[in-house]
Amino acid sequence: MSEQATIVATDLTKVFGARRALDRVGFELPAGAFLSIFGPNGAGKTTLLRILSTLARPTSGNAQVLGFDLKEKPGDLRAHIGLISHKPLLYLDLSAEENLLLAARLYGVADPYERVGELLATVELTARRHDVVRTFSRGMTQRLAIARALVHDPQLVFLDEPYSGLDPRAVQIFDELLHKVRQKSQDGKPRSFCMVSHDMDKGLALATHLLILERGKVVLFARKEDVNPGEFARLYLNSVGMGVA
Amino acid sequence: MTNKPRVSAWQHYRILLGKDLRREFRTREMLTSMGIYTLLVLVIFGTALVQAAEKVDILQMSGGLFWALIVFTSLLGLNRSFAYEKEDGALEGVLLVPLDRSVIFLSKLTANLLFLLVIEVIAIPLFFVFFLSGLPLQPTLPLALGPLLVGTIGIAGIGTLLATITINTRGKDVLLALLFVPLIFPLLYACVSATTLAICASPALYDIYPAAMALAIGYDVVMILVSWLLYDFVVSA
Repeated sequence: MSEQATIVATDLTKVFGARRALDRVGFELPAGAFLSIFGPNGAGKTTLLRILSTLARPTSGNAQVLGFDLKEKPGDLRAHIGLISHKPLLYLDLSAEENLLLAARLYGVADPYERVGELLATVELTARRHDVVRTFSRGMTQRLAIARALVHDPQLVFLDEPYSGLDPRAVQIFDELLHKVRQKSQDGKPRSFCMVSHDMDKGLALATHLLILERGKVVLFARKEDVNPGEFARLYLNSVGMGVA
Repeated sequence: MTNKPRVSAWQHYRILLGKDLRREFRTREMLTSMGIYTLLVLVIFGTALVQAAEKVDILQMSGGLFWALIVFTSLLGLNRSFAYEKEDGALEGVLLVPLDRSVIFLSKLTANLLFLLVIEVIAIPLFFVFFLSGLPLQPTLPLALGPLLVGTIGIAGIGTLLATITINTRGKDVLLALLFVPLIFPLLYACVSATTLAICASPALYDIYPAAMALAIGYDVVMILVSWLLYDFVVSA
């Protein structure tokens, strides 16, 4: 494993019954990179993200994430990763502040009140801090979900279709937030991202590295600058079944 | 990679339990539905038994009636206790935290136990009013508190594990009942026996009651220990 690698995946395989959701997936992502993962529905993108974020176990193969062995040290790894999903991972009957305080205390954040106040300001929800999440719009909920994912200042952030269901204004706010948090984390280390997206333009704009999955297999993994845009578009459209015969 | 300060299992337990209690006291979702359900079952049982009061010995049936009430009510509560965890992926948010996952089991067990005990505090006086008013109260009646507490702990423990197993299944309400009732049968058998003996002051009380309690306590210890050990595997599956 190279010294700077954020993720070193080796032959990751996940089998559900007779279906092979991931088939010997391997790649190496350097620190500070933004990986965009593309592929059609059922290609294994979310399964890959769930395995790398310790929410699922691989059937075979393994990965080193931030230097932690995924199978041996999942608990240690969890302290350093965050997940922003199309599901907000929040308790809808708790307030915005209560949700963030809950997460901050569970992660052992040194000064939870100060951190929560800072994050609520970042996601522009200070005025609604005491309102229960159930009363929030989709865009507001997603902004709070971002704050929750960043409460412990993770080194690696997983994003699973974060734009799903957002209106254009919410997308704009989300982009601005993403830009802010792409800057280095509090301890000065580069933050890395791993995003699953169906939006090719958005994924390409943000990415430093690209990965295309098709039927659980890696079709392409490369640095963005090494990829010919025309070739990428052809591979992507072929993988989602929209290629020209 | 530097390690961030670790939160102890005890602190995680308190934080998660506090979250469940705070949410319930805000929404009163579980307590209200379980309370109304308890009242409904009591009214239905009461109405049925009033019509047959001449022919049945209610005192002999009281243990069974009470435990039927508790089992039905707890099924409702257990299902609800995990419904909001699944809503919008809240449980996944907790699973992403570096904690011993058996702590999630222990905190949820405690919350379910507390909610069941609150319902029992309401149900017991109502049960006496509906079924035992006018009947002579036996001096052995306080002994019924033993099976009540041990049985409730067992129901909360095994119910918490089963509710976690069924959370992602279709028809989880039915599946929970299908798994729950056969699995708690030994506990239920022991608790119904001990409760009935205590209420009736049966001559067999001092022979059978200790054995029934030993069975119930043994069941609780084994099943809660197994549930605690299995929980990481179950919740990660």
